[in-house]
Amino acid sequence: MRNSMKVAKWEYRRNMKNKSFIIGLFVTPLLFLLFFNLPSLFDDSEEEEAPVSVYVYDELNVWDSVQSALPEDELSNWSLMSDPMEETEILDELANSEKTAYLLLTEEAIQNGSVKVYMSEDVDENLVYQARVFEQPLVIKQLESLGLSEEEVAVASQGVTFESVVPGEESSGTAIELEEETPEEMLQRIVPIAFGGVILFSILITGMMIFQSASQEKKEKVAEIVLSSLTPEELMKGKIWGYFALGITQVAVWMALILPFLMWKIDLPLLEYILVPETLLSVAIAICGYLLFASIFVGIGATVEDISSTSNFQGILFMFPFLPFVLIAPIMGDPSGIIAQVGTFFPLTTPGVLLLRLAVLDTWPWIEIIIALVVLVITIWFFMKLAGKIFKTGILMYGKDATPKEIWKWLRQ
Amino acid sequence: MGTILTVENLGKSFKNTQIIKDISFDVKQGEIMAVLGPNGAGKTTTIRNIMGIMYPDEGSITFHNHEQNEIPRHKIGYLPEERGLYKNVKVMDILLYFAELKDYPLQKAKVRALEYLEKFGLKGKDKSSIEELSKGMGQKVQFIASIIHEPELLILDEPFSGLDPVSQEVFKEEIIALAKKGTAILLSSHQMNLVEQLCDRLFMIHQGRKVIYGTIDDVKREYANFKCTINGKNDRATLETIPNVVRVEQNEDISILYLSHDVEAGAWLKQLPDHLEIKELSIDRVSLHEIFIDIATGKKEVGVQNA
Repeated sequence: MRNSMKVAKWEYRRNMKNKSFIIGLFVTPLLFLLFFNLPSLFDDSEEEEAPVSVYVYDELNVWDSVQSALPEDELSNWSLMSDPMEETEILDELANSEKTAYLLLTEEAIQNGSVKVYMSEDVDENLVYQARVFEQPLVIKQLESLGLSEEEVAVASQGVTFESVVPGEESSGTAIELEEETPEEMLQRIVPIAFGGVILFSILITGMMIFQSASQEKKEKVAEIVLSSLTPEELMKGKIWGYFALGITQVAVWMALILPFLMWKIDLPLLEYILVPETLLSVAIAICGYLLFASIFVGIGATVEDISSTSNFQGILFMFPFLPFVLIAPIMGDPSGIIAQVGTFFPLTTPGVLLLRLAVLDTWPWIEIIIALVVLVITIWFFMKLAGKIFKTGILMYGKDATPKEIWKWLRQ
Repeated sequence: MGTILTVENLGKSFKNTQIIKDISFDVKQGEIMAVLGPNGAGKTTTIRNIMGIMYPDEGSITFHNHEQNEIPRHKIGYLPEERGLYKNVKVMDILLYFAELKDYPLQKAKVRALEYLEKFGLKGKDKSSIEELSKGMGQKVQFIASIIHEPELLILDEPFSGLDPVSQEVFKEEIIALAKKGTAILLSSHQMNLVEQLCDRLFMIHQGRKVIYGTIDDVKREYANFKCTINGKNDRATLETIPNVVRVEQNEDISILYLSHDVEAGAWLKQLPDHLEIKELSIDRVSLHEIFIDIATGKKEVGVQNA
């Protein structure tokens, strides 16, 4: 272990002094910030967008009930008209004006079931969606006009809910709210898992550097000198831990640069969302994922001298971490379906699929999580053993790439 | 001189091929011991087994009183035949890394590294990247890396390969200096002239088996017969009739007469025929180089000699 730590320290220091790694370390989050701000940068380059003046003729007296639903900063742009206007008059007016819209809430609109939103050419279509704040009060007016009593109107405008009834469950009889999750609640659920995802992504990227490091050791013929001081297992483990530390440093730098910006930009306490018990699980999954793929990469790295000389066989192994991406659509469609479950228990996809499912599921399937993690940990142990066997022989085979047949032979030794 | 390393009946096979068998020798404190043999003889396999990079199938390796698995590796320095250095790191960084791997104090290692860099003409290169160095400079850094931690036993596998004569001389002097300070040195080389100059004892290995083992003088006495070089126009048939001449090689006017093992040089010279044309004559022993070639090409069959 002591010797492994010496190797880990060396790999860490060596990369932290490497210009391209340092540049990548800081450039990646800066690129993120740049792309995040790109749309607003383009917007800023133009003139400050003028607000849209919306004139409402409120024959039905619904204005008071919707005022609170409109964004505060835009409320001043909405004004009530005391007298109605003819359509031709409005169209003439709009033809000669900019950023103007008219909304006529009249008895006729109730009868037709359609409210026309008159807009000048430069007004965004989104205004129509914004005008939908009037929908609910207008429906009530519509029902009242049909002669329904106040109670009937209240019942009709309430909508219908569906209740689940399962024998033996305390929750039976509770209604499933069809209310949508607020963005804050959604973020609260997703952020800890996304944090684990970022860690997995980051350490997988540095994990791929293990491949280069192992093949470099072989290509530059340093392995034998190093192995005169420690065992191949110690060298292999040292590399795995060293690149793990690099990955974590990468995440730390990314977070330090991106989080404050995001918190300022979207005005949400992201740090509070991250510092929850759920994060521990997602980080544990990420670390397991790293260890699994690191053992694969370090093993393959010891069999080839150059990434460009990797055969199809080794190239396929290199694709393993990206397998969960193929499963994104079916898992999002049915997070508890058969594909999601198979992906959860197949070790090569476990980390990615598990994180994906945890992000979308309201209730976590703890039994599945525990079984998947146990399978994953056993697989890591097994892969580490195999990687050790390949590494031991492969790393000293200078000047030659190993064939799958040779690798198979080493595995059986 | 105390024995530092003892190798006894070492054997190693790959698949069904026996690479080395019954390899036994020892290396004493302050001596330079050569392991010789043609390519593929099993030298590197022997060395890798000593270094714990491979594990022997048979036999034992003892370093002081430590057995195979307990050998303190930090007391051994190793310069492998196939060697290189990380390209994109600084000279001092890599030297300190190797010192750290050997548990050697880093401050002390830094001082030693600077001393050796200066000694090898690399003063001021400590902050240079390895990729900026020439091949010869790189080899010097590798050599420094193998001795940075003051090893008790230094194993050098082909240390002179690829070196220019000046660098060879620098390495030779340093190896002698280390031995004088008490370092036991096990050296493998193909350059027999350097082995003759440097080593106290040699162990020759051929097809995985020991063929010669002894001090340089003993080996030469035992295996290096006399040869007589005559400059003059002489008939080969005449030369072959001279007593004790085993073989004659001729190149224009130069004739080399290889003599039998039991010949006495003085008495043999006295009975040379009067009619021989002799412009120049020299008599000396066959060099280690020639013994090596004879063994490697199967011209000479030798038994085992013990030191």
